[in-house]
Amino acid sequence: MKKIILLLCLALLAGKAANAQMPHDGIYMNKKLACGAVIYGNSSWTNFWENQLFRDNKNIGRLTTESVSAMLAYGITKKLNVIAVVPYVRTHASKGNLMGQEGLQDASLWLKAKGYSSHGLTLHGVVGLSVPVSNYVPDFLPMSIGIGSKALITRGMISYDLPKHLYLNSSIAYQMRSNVRADRDGYLAGSRFYNTSDVAVPDAFDAALRLGYLKKDNQLELFAEHFSCIGGDHIRRNDMPFITNDMTMTSVGVYGKFQPKTLGVNAKVAYVVDGQNVGQSFSLSVGVLYQFKL
Amino acid sequence: MKYIYTLLVFVLLASCTKEVDMVVDQPYVPSNLDVNAGGWKTFIASDISVSTPVLVTDATYLKEIDSLKTVVIPSLTAAQKTAVQYWGAGAVMRWNEIARELAARYNQAPAANAAGIYPVPNAADPLADPRFPFANPPYTARALAYLSVAQYDALVTAWKFKYQYNRKAPYVVDTTIKPLLPVTSLPTYPAEDAVVAQASYVILLAMFPGEGPFLAEKLAEAKNVRVWAGMNVGSDVAAGVKLGGAVAAQVMARAKTDGMSAANNQAIVPGLIANSKSLGFVNPWASQEIPARPPMLPNYGAVKTWNFDRETMVSIRPPIPYLEGSAEFKKDLAELEAINKNQTRNQAAIANYWADGPGSYTPPGHWHRYACAAGVEAKYSEVRMARMLAYVGTALMDAGIACWDTKYFYYSPRPQQFGLKTSVGLPNFPSYTSGHSTFSFAAASVLSSFFPTKTSLFSAYAQEASDSRVYGLIHFRVDCSMGGKHGKLIGDYAVKRANADGAQ
Repeated sequence: MKKIILLLCLALLAGKAANAQMPHDGIYMNKKLACGAVIYGNSSWTNFWENQLFRDNKNIGRLTTESVSAMLAYGITKKLNVIAVVPYVRTHASKGNLMGQEGLQDASLWLKAKGYSSHGLTLHGVVGLSVPVSNYVPDFLPMSIGIGSKALITRGMISYDLPKHLYLNSSIAYQMRSNVRADRDGYLAGSRFYNTSDVAVPDAFDAALRLGYLKKDNQLELFAEHFSCIGGDHIRRNDMPFITNDMTMTSVGVYGKFQPKTLGVNAKVAYVVDGQNVGQSFSLSVGVLYQFKL
Repeated sequence: MKYIYTLLVFVLLASCTKEVDMVVDQPYVPSNLDVNAGGWKTFIASDISVSTPVLVTDATYLKEIDSLKTVVIPSLTAAQKTAVQYWGAGAVMRWNEIARELAARYNQAPAANAAGIYPVPNAADPLADPRFPFANPPYTARALAYLSVAQYDALVTAWKFKYQYNRKAPYVVDTTIKPLLPVTSLPTYPAEDAVVAQASYVILLAMFPGEGPFLAEKLAEAKNVRVWAGMNVGSDVAAGVKLGGAVAAQVMARAKTDGMSAANNQAIVPGLIANSKSLGFVNPWASQEIPARPPMLPNYGAVKTWNFDRETMVSIRPPIPYLEGSAEFKKDLAELEAINKNQTRNQAAIANYWADGPGSYTPPGHWHRYACAAGVEAKYSEVRMARMLAYVGTALMDAGIACWDTKYFYYSPRPQQFGLKTSVGLPNFPSYTSGHSTFSFAAASVLSSFFPTKTSLFSAYAQEASDSRVYGLIHFRVDCSMGGKHGKLIGDYAVKRANADGAQ
């Protein structure tokens, strides 16, 4: 916790943050304008889907993942933005004896471009690269802070302006994910045992639908997101999850941003309503944003 | 639009199956045919006969050759050729690999039911939840030991009859037959691959009774590939199957009466705890799971050993460990507390590498894998491979039995009973001595005797596997150091037996 508070303070001091725009929204920074953000996230679950079986694990209790992310968005032009994110993540189980893990997780860099636009409808393209920035343990799920894979994410997005500052935003992304070098030199995936430390992580796609209100820099949004691996195996009966798992989840949530001037705040709440090989997470995040010229 | 194209390209790319970087074993010519292996001493098999084959000039044999030439070989599919190469890398090694995979698939502790009870797996209904067996380290050590012993005894017997009958290979009898695998002068009757296949099938079906269809498929393929490859005719294979089955039946007779059926006798637990307290343990071991799980196989220490008798086992049992409150205990606990507070990434990596926990082939499986790799590297013949694995396998099972005897004799507490976490998961049985250390030093002792130039490598592996349990925070240092010493002694008994079997 001390580390998290320290990171928050540092980020605030360094702060000149702002128009928090994310890789998945239709908002752009103007040319030479930057927005820095520090976001605290807390996600936890008690119940999870062991393959399709919905259950708890009394030897884990509640599994909590906390994160502090530093984010920077910058307008190269008002139609082309670059966004960088680095999260520090920590896990903790309320019961049992599994050791919590913490560390810098995967840094990501995104390019977001506005394309064809007409009658309130705009097409966007987003490309992101995510790479682990510390040598964390990937194969100790659910305690691991990440899965250790490099990912290339390509997103197509359509935003549509509705009357009265309302908007609709829909996107779909494909996540190409690299193999992972596990600590162990053999592992079971499906019913096959692989005598190697090289682990194939299934690719994934995600899709989202957002309905929001945006006036100046203030925003309120309802969203539904779906994430699904393409292939992979399932958590075996009474086993732990593994990086080869075919994880699926559908979540709903609310996002809001309040930015009267250069300083702003955002918050997000999300809840997993259905899934497979994942925990039924409730997650909350709050961020401080600061807009500045570069 | 270009984004949609990009997306489509990625989706197409992803539709290909993902590959992993893995060593693929290839067929090889053995460095030594071991022509005298028929005289080596077996573990169990005796008085097994193989009927005299017909001469290669006999009409029935010539019909087999003709069928090979005109029907089998011309109609081989690509999948059949792939199977030939797969099995051609070594029948003993492949069946060992299959057994390890089965162990991994069945290495899962039962889940508690709604009443908080852990149901016991039922051999008569192996695929019901919880599946039978729970292939934990003692179970897997035993399954692999019987597998290796059956393979070894069957191959020694096969070698005896091979050189007694001296039947030539099909491609020697008819030089128009072009075999698909490397050839040697080894006589082909009975077919060694069929001997190994049938013996392995019988043992593995007994150990993993829910895997009948899977094993039957492997058995059929393992027998067929020798004919597909032009290496054997049907009568070589049939004689091999008969021999392999006869040896496996003798080996299974021992397995059925070795005491394993009473290994999970939970009724002895109160007595074990009382003994522990009388020895001075204030806080004996207690399950840290919620709900508390009955200890794993508390009576496995009573299972019949291979390479020494019961009296010897008791005489080499490690002495009592440090008791709670002693200076030595405090020192061991302090080492763990320091790791608990600041485990290095390297410590975590070593702990994970050797963890061999649920969903793995367990430490005995890990050592069988390294043994197979060493045998392949040394280009061992099938019979020498089986011999080496039989000694490694019996040493590992003996290590399991003697370690379990020690664990339940002292019933000592785990570090988690003193507030420590773990980065690998906590086994549900007493702490002293470390199973990993005992298994690893026993296997390293045997392997070093077979591969003397690799002694330092195997010793380093064993030490690392032992240390990994301290780094993973589930064992005190004394559990590991004493377990290692115990394991070395146990392995030495297997070496002593190997040195007297006539193979040197």
